[in-house]
Amino acid sequence: MKEKVENESDGASRRNFLKKVGVGVGAISVAGIAGSTILKGNAANAKSGKKIKLLSPDGKLVEVDQDDIKPAGEIVADLKTEARAGLHNRKFSMVIDLARCKNARKCVEACQEGHLLPKDHEWLKLYLLQDDNLTSKYWFPRPCFHCDKPMCVSVCPVGATFKRSDGIVLVDNQRCIGCKFCMTGCPFSARVFNWKDPEVTVPEGHVYDPETNIPALEGTVGKCVFCADKLRIGELPRCVSACPMGVIYFGDILEDTVTNGNETVRFSKLISDRAGYRYREELGTLPSVFYLPPTQRMFPVESGLEDTDESIKGRYKNAGPR
Amino acid sequence: MKADRKLIQDLTPEIENTSITWYITFIILFGIFATGVYGLYQQIDKGHIVTGMRDNVVWGFYIVNFIFFMGLSYSGALISGVLHLFNTGWRKPIIRIAELITIISLIIGPFFIFFCIGRLDRLYYLFLYPRIQSPITWDVIAIMTDLVGCFLYLYLSFIEDFAILRDYPDLKVAPWKKKLYKTLSLGFTGTEKQMKILNNARTVMAAMVIAIAIIVYSVLAWIFGVTLQPGWHSTIFGPYFVIAAVFSGTGLLIILMWIFRKIYHLEAYITKRHFVNVGVLLTVIAAFYGYFTFSDYLTKWYGSIKMDSILIDKLFTDYYSLFIFANYIGILLPCIIIAFPRFRTIPNITIAAVIAVTALWVNRYIIVIPTLETPFLPIQDVRPDWITYSPTWVEWSLTLAGVSVFAMLFMLVSKIAPIISISEMQEQDENELLN
Amino acid sequence: MKKKVVFAILCLSLLPLSSFQLFSQEVTLITPYISLQYFKNTDDQRYVQTTLTYSSNRMELPLPGMEVTFFNGGDKKETLASIVTDNKGVARFELTKELSLKSNSDGMWVFSSEFKGNDSIEAATVEITVKDVRLELALAVVDTVKMITVKAFTDDNGSEKPVSGETVKIYVPRMFSLLPISELTLDDSGTATVEFPSDMPGDTVGKLAIIAKFEENATFGNVEKRENIAWGVPTDYSIPKSHRALWTKTAPKWMIYTLSVLLAGVWGHYLFAFISLIKINLDAKRKAKEEYRV
Repeated sequence: MKEKVENESDGASRRNFLKKVGVGVGAISVAGIAGSTILKGNAANAKSGKKIKLLSPDGKLVEVDQDDIKPAGEIVADLKTEARAGLHNRKFSMVIDLARCKNARKCVEACQEGHLLPKDHEWLKLYLLQDDNLTSKYWFPRPCFHCDKPMCVSVCPVGATFKRSDGIVLVDNQRCIGCKFCMTGCPFSARVFNWKDPEVTVPEGHVYDPETNIPALEGTVGKCVFCADKLRIGELPRCVSACPMGVIYFGDILEDTVTNGNETVRFSKLISDRAGYRYREELGTLPSVFYLPPTQRMFPVESGLEDTDESIKGRYKNAGPR
Repeated sequence: MKADRKLIQDLTPEIENTSITWYITFIILFGIFATGVYGLYQQIDKGHIVTGMRDNVVWGFYIVNFIFFMGLSYSGALISGVLHLFNTGWRKPIIRIAELITIISLIIGPFFIFFCIGRLDRLYYLFLYPRIQSPITWDVIAIMTDLVGCFLYLYLSFIEDFAILRDYPDLKVAPWKKKLYKTLSLGFTGTEKQMKILNNARTVMAAMVIAIAIIVYSVLAWIFGVTLQPGWHSTIFGPYFVIAAVFSGTGLLIILMWIFRKIYHLEAYITKRHFVNVGVLLTVIAAFYGYFTFSDYLTKWYGSIKMDSILIDKLFTDYYSLFIFANYIGILLPCIIIAFPRFRTIPNITIAAVIAVTALWVNRYIIVIPTLETPFLPIQDVRPDWITYSPTWVEWSLTLAGVSVFAMLFMLVSKIAPIISISEMQEQDENELLN
Repeated sequence: MKKKVVFAILCLSLLPLSSFQLFSQEVTLITPYISLQYFKNTDDQRYVQTTLTYSSNRMELPLPGMEVTFFNGGDKKETLASIVTDNKGVARFELTKELSLKSNSDGMWVFSSEFKGNDSIEAATVEITVKDVRLELALAVVDTVKMITVKAFTDDNGSEKPVSGETVKIYVPRMFSLLPISELTLDDSGTATVEFPSDMPGDTVGKLAIIAKFEENATFGNVEKRENIAWGVPTDYSIPKSHRALWTKTAPKWMIYTLSVLLAGVWGHYLFAFISLIKINLDAKRKAKEEYRV
């Protein structure tokens, strides 16, 4: 991997700060300020100079400026406003090289782990497709396509799902009413519903943010978020970093660059050299995810069925032409 | 307002007395309703996992029932609206039943949407954060508008009856009911001026009820039509759903005519002529409905779009018997029964209507479910309930609860207002005398 | 992960790699991978960096919270510092200007780092030699062609000696990684030149950075030179707030108009019906009064 590019934008550091102090929701006030008020992340504000002592969750006594104290509810609101706006002057895209995928499922595991998803709730799905009985099978990882004309967003009656300026489509599960219209709207089955209480143990002090969509909430819809939280700190999505084959390229196409963590290439060149395409272009949803056809593949398709659990193998029993 | 004494005596017994059968029926229906409430409690407590819906088939019985009940509301728009506008004489004894079907099914329909949504506690978000682009928002607006309109229309048709009941001294009912009639009649006395105002308003509202009913059902169809799903993404869906709705509404009207005729001994008012007339209407609508159905499936079958072919394949394999019942038997059999004069008996016509209504429900089912079981990306799963939909007892109980509430509401209304409009019948009598 | 300059792996256990378990009760020692890299950045700051990892299920995983000691000198080692690895298994020590580094007989610096090991992880050491190099990056537009020129010199007893035959890589930093532009080989005068692509996107005003690098070079380690310049194609992507589409917050105008007209039409008629009811009521009241008078 190359050296880490410095990318601590103001927004990112401010956001981290917000999140860190978000941990302090339960902080006990020493100076008598109500426990529901916590640090405000706006460093630009003029300070009153009045210091207040607070007990941080790890038991340390910290002194903060009074002006930095803000009700806990506002932090969630701030995170949501930022999550709805997106990163400035960015347009994220993914390129998935079908020639390299062998159903290693590391991407799925990383995604499940990273977003604390229950077992029956996969955001990233691996399909074994075959277009026709005259054509061959291939492995097909399917994240959310983050379409530029997202049907799911169009049909949402309450604006719980939204498209940001950087192209990412997110779900605010504190807004979602669970009508599931977006699920029927999405032609790519990218959305999953929490049919029951997901029973996830959320780290203490975790503040809900649509960019991670943690924790999942019963009766609401979840889906791949392109790891918007990672992007904000300049890191690649979890599935990209986790893939041992370098199948998934990711990048800002305004920079015309995508990387799979090992190799960094120009997006336009990769698409033109390898005849990149989008799944079901004819539907006109303009996905942000591109595929490179499985030409001269690195592994035989069958190798994807080795070393996998019976329950996983079972999924592909009936995979065939359609 | 005065009315013929015999007419009132014939049409009001259900208001004055309540039979034991009524109570028993009501208690049984209430029991079914209570089961539904328990099912709903389970669903809220444990989550939607207790239903048969899963990630592919995200809409099941609830949505089917929703569009079905909304469709039934069409009988009012058609029978009372259209027939009012054309001033068809024979409509009069059945006009009230039709209007009541409209209101009651309009009230019940949206409850199935409430059962379907995951966070019932956030229902008010629909008004707090509305998005005009979403067909659900259109639907919310349209259904509310329709409800208000139908209530107004129904009320306009009730005023005269309330006035008659208010001015009828021999009516043996509780004082609260008399007071209710007095308030609701608005002091209406049937002067020429008042009649003119009332008739004007009724004509306007009849037109409105028809227009808004078409909009409501088209919007409902567009919830499916605007998506890209195979089988749903069809331009024909708006008018197709409207016709289907009229079909079921007319069918249900025949069934209820039969029931009320039996229970309240209205043989003198609801005659074979009414059954035949509504039956012929049902046949005409069935022809249109069959034509739309055929046209929709023919184009899908003839063309070679892959997803459509897969869907049609599914309909003719996994859903073969349902498909045949809904789209062949359910359309052709009612037509045949009613088309031949010698089959046209009251029981036969009623049977035809029962078949038509049931088949239409099944038709809604095979529009919603098979499409969701046929997503663009194949379902690759080991969990059977994730692959094919089958309703659980919770969905059955809530479905039956909906039917029982429909019946209960009808029973309750019949205790307050006559099920056949006295004023309209009076008018009819007077006309007949003049002729 | 990072390509190693030098691997020094001490293997005491012959157990299969896949059976390794961190903190297991059995005495199965983990064999760590240790690497040492030398960096010199564009501001001539130097540092050495050690990465400590181990292999589990064919995946390379970091060993965080381990103390690594850095040394300078070959035969006579001098301790520089002891640093604990971070959560990526990386320990880094900055070689400040104040530090007097010892060279060996070839005029090269020798660095080594050592991990002493503990109850569950074996010990490991690694050593590298580095020669200091001066890398220059010059950007100029010649006949509308954007040219990148790199030069490299070493210090040869006070005089500059060009570096020839070595590879210098040119990169443009992007959001997640460095985008390679070209790989140059230095000629006898220690110089190499390449044309910068004309279609490289920059930021909103076309600004971007260009980096020249000795990368994992056997002699010079990692040395980089970075310049910022507005050679890129300006990119400005944002959806205007006023944008109306099906998927935006605000609906297309025709939708609002259509809905308003429909609603106004229908509710207008409702209002008419409602007013009719009021009229009936008023008329009835008036008549009742008249009758009362009579």
